[in-house]
Amino acid sequence: MATNPPRVGTRLCSALHRSSAKCTVLTLLVIGFFSGVLFWGGFNTVMEWTNTEKFCISCHEMYDNVYKEYQHTIHYNNRTGVRAVCSDCHVPQAWGPKMIRKIQASREVWGKITGTINTSEKFEAKRLTLARREWKRMLANDSLECRNCHSFESMDKEKQATRASRQHQNAVEEGMTCIQCHQGIAHELPKDMEDDDFLN
Amino acid sequence: MKKTLIAATIGLSFSIVQGMALAAPPADWSKVGATEITLFYPGISPMEWITGSLRIDRVRHGGSRAFGQGDTCADCHADETAEMGEKIVTGEKLEPNPVPGKPGAIPVTIQAAHDGENLYMKFSWKQPGAANSPKMDDKNPMKIAFMLDGGKVAMADQSGCWASCHADSRTMPDGSDDKTKYVKDGSLAGGVFYDLVQWRSGENKAFNGYVADKRVQNEGGGIVAEGKLDGDTWTVTFQRKLAGGEGDVSLESGKTYNFGIAVHDDHTAGRFHHVSLGYTLGIDTKGDLTAMKF
Repeated sequence: MATNPPRVGTRLCSALHRSSAKCTVLTLLVIGFFSGVLFWGGFNTVMEWTNTEKFCISCHEMYDNVYKEYQHTIHYNNRTGVRAVCSDCHVPQAWGPKMIRKIQASREVWGKITGTINTSEKFEAKRLTLARREWKRMLANDSLECRNCHSFESMDKEKQATRASRQHQNAVEEGMTCIQCHQGIAHELPKDMEDDDFLN
Repeated sequence: MKKTLIAATIGLSFSIVQGMALAAPPADWSKVGATEITLFYPGISPMEWITGSLRIDRVRHGGSRAFGQGDTCADCHADETAEMGEKIVTGEKLEPNPVPGKPGAIPVTIQAAHDGENLYMKFSWKQPGAANSPKMDDKNPMKIAFMLDGGKVAMADQSGCWASCHADSRTMPDGSDDKTKYVKDGSLAGGVFYDLVQWRSGENKAFNGYVADKRVQNEGGGIVAEGKLDGDTWTVTFQRKLAGGEGDVSLESGKTYNFGIAVHDDHTAGRFHHVSLGYTLGIDTKGDLTAMKF
């Protein structure tokens, strides 16, 4: 009795498990190594692309709301032209926490698809919830994203205005973290904040 | 007998007339040290906001924490009063109804001196440009006042006059028309009050008063004041007895007193004045302002 020819899946599986007749182990290793480099490089390139300002503001939810507000702030436009874009504050720099954040961001993709904040009314209604998430995250990591660039130790007290200098010295003495005072630094504060939402 | 009577009458007339004018201020004011203080427009910034209990424009006063720890307003804000005034008068912060053209700040030069019996204080400043504010006080295009505290009014040492400014006072958004400035736990008998001295340009009169549980003002009341506008410069000189009377803070040599100034320009009243942060006046001793014996 003639057997049916094996299906594609079975054939592929066998092929992958079969020892190579044509290439040496070394060749396979070298090919594998460079493929890995390409793949890893490609993966990270795409990852970094999702960290660019252009990518973030490609969603109108971000462009129309928080981006427009950010454009009036010092992190967008200042004397030295040094900027902090979305990912500088909202995405961790270290690879592990960054991957975790990117996986969490799938919730944002879902939100985009279902339109949870796709009008300014919906956005304003959710602003406090979104803000609270970020404040909680920054409190938990001691404003790590701020401290990636700013450091109390490197602040030149003479160059700061009296008020700023005093507040920073006080903050150091009391072990405070940046976000406690600088909550509205890049985006408007929600209108419906409660007393507990104020961190200072 | 007749000559004596005539001489006595003439002498009496002179002394009556002299009572209306300053009695022996410094002959040469240029020898008295001058201090410049920049008054600024405060908008809506009552004590409740300063201390952090009230939120305005969504936020609490960022300095409420420092204030609660004993800092004075001047500790942080002394060198930025002009900028603060600009931010507020344009409506950027703390002012729901900005008046176009109203200046943010008015620098005032102050000199103080005493002769053992009377305190003399001279204020001079340039007339700011007209802003077309609604005329709240028809009679007086310009008023100037200062307040003194002898140490009994809570937070006057940090905030100058601010402890008399509350969210429920008249001209404030949530204020009632019948509530004047007042001091928490204010009591004339208990000594918890600000001594308030004012000169009004239109009426050309001096007023003595105090702010305890409410503000009380009496025409004259032991204050003699002269004020004039020379070109574009106002000069107002006050004289009061160091010891003072009821409703006055008694001033003694060697001590400092909490002190603040307010100018009501352009026929304004109530909260629409320009004010100073809290400073100290020292009698024969160093303060932000010093009155030495001349």
